[in-house]
Amino acid sequence: MIKVSNLSFSYTGGGVPVLSDINLEFDQRTTAIIGQNGAGKTTFVKLLKGLLKATYGEILIGEYDVKMRTAAELARKIGLVFQNPNDQIFKRTVLDETMFGLLNIKMGRYTAEKLAVEALELVGLDDKLSMNPHDLSLSEKKLLCIASVVAMDTDIVIFDEPTIAQDHAGKEIIRRIIQKLKEKNKLVLTIIHDMDFVAENFDRTIVFNEGKVLLDGSTREVFSQKDVLEEANVEPPGITQLANRLGLKNTILTVDEFLHECAK
Amino acid sequence: MKSISLFVERESFVHGIDPITKLYYILFAIIIPIILPSFTISAICLGTSIILLIFAKVMRKTLPVYSFVFFVLITVVIIQGLFKPGNETVLLQLGPVAMYKEGLQFALTIVFRVTNIVSAFMILVLTTKPSDLVEALVRKGMSPRIGYVIVSVFQIIPEMMTTMSTIMDAQRSRGMETEGKLLVRIKAFIPLLGPVVLGSLINTKERAMALEVRGFNSRNPKTYLNEEKTYPNSRFIQAVMLVLTVCAVAWRMFL
Repeated sequence: MIKVSNLSFSYTGGGVPVLSDINLEFDQRTTAIIGQNGAGKTTFVKLLKGLLKATYGEILIGEYDVKMRTAAELARKIGLVFQNPNDQIFKRTVLDETMFGLLNIKMGRYTAEKLAVEALELVGLDDKLSMNPHDLSLSEKKLLCIASVVAMDTDIVIFDEPTIAQDHAGKEIIRRIIQKLKEKNKLVLTIIHDMDFVAENFDRTIVFNEGKVLLDGSTREVFSQKDVLEEANVEPPGITQLANRLGLKNTILTVDEFLHECAK
Repeated sequence: MKSISLFVERESFVHGIDPITKLYYILFAIIIPIILPSFTISAICLGTSIILLIFAKVMRKTLPVYSFVFFVLITVVIIQGLFKPGNETVLLQLGPVAMYKEGLQFALTIVFRVTNIVSAFMILVLTTKPSDLVEALVRKGMSPRIGYVIVSVFQIIPEMMTTMSTIMDAQRSRGMETEGKLLVRIKAFIPLLGPVVLGSLINTKERAMALEVRGFNSRNPKTYLNEEKTYPNSRFIQAVMLVLTVCAVAWRMFL
């Protein structure tokens, strides 16, 4: 669905490249992008979204060349939930905020409202339709931002650190949304630091380090390579580390798997 | 972060002069041509300022400011040259339009005065870090609150510009067209002002609380983060300027 070839980018003309020579292809598998702060993850998704223009290389989304489109045109194809909800929220009510994107892509008012309410139900904010978004708590604001992007029903949905500020219940909601998008055959891409969440929810994991792709593969494969992960300063999930210290041979990703393995 | 200050980091003796002396210099450059209203004196003052700007290696940065000022001044020259009451001697005749000598002379004095003041200000603005200036003023007894207000203007405006572009990105990614024709850009810009202003008000509240937590309103004498810089020549320069001013007054009165 996305094909990235020889992608390089730097913020200052000839300065230090933030990303250098990235080659990736994305299919329907849910994909987590992990790596230290400053590894270039957010820059990478902004490039996918057309918010930044690549210095070298090209990005194809479906048959679209990202370079030839404006970010607004790409909005029908690819949705991005920003890390900081305050950057995104700007309408007076929760419902208007969710409908904003839908109206932008020339959806009729009636349909837009229906889709918006559906998305808000999904995140559990449907009882707060007429509230001012700025009165919501931080975690609710994040869920609202997710709803307003998911409502647009794009083929590709990118989350930038969705689990920040979420308690267990909030994470459950996000997990449910990801599952739902997956069922609809949409590509979910997520930048994330919560490794437990990665292990439980993502099929594929990509590790960024200093502007390059260090590891790319199924989540289990990636978390089994302890030494390479250490180089990128990434710690495997708690349960994986526990299993490893206990001397279990297989790479364990979830508590269920762990219990299952121990029961043998 | 972007900066709205015009300060240029260079190594020069002008940069090494303390901000207070530069403030005095502005006063000096304004007062002298008033005391001695002759062409030569104005020209000498302007010349001094320009030489100082050249020594400070910031001449290139002054060009946009000068060109803006000259743009305004040209209108003064034209209007005074054509219409000043008391215009008698025709200098230039272009069909029905006549330029007069008296008007042009008057306009020229204005041009000299304005460029003179602008140059003196530029010495301060281009060679002094805003925070250094404020710190020097606070040490001289200015209220730290006012100092904070001045410094924060230099921080908040670039911050608002950054926020603006992030919000812009967030809306673009939800399908709002912000690229292309001027009309499209303006249409996209206006609804964004609300969140930017609202956001900075919220930030202001948080900043105020953060300052309060660190004892901004405490009545004890404040200490400074930076050690006081010593400027060996400032006494001398200030004294020279004072003597010159006194001489100018004397000249005006007795000669």
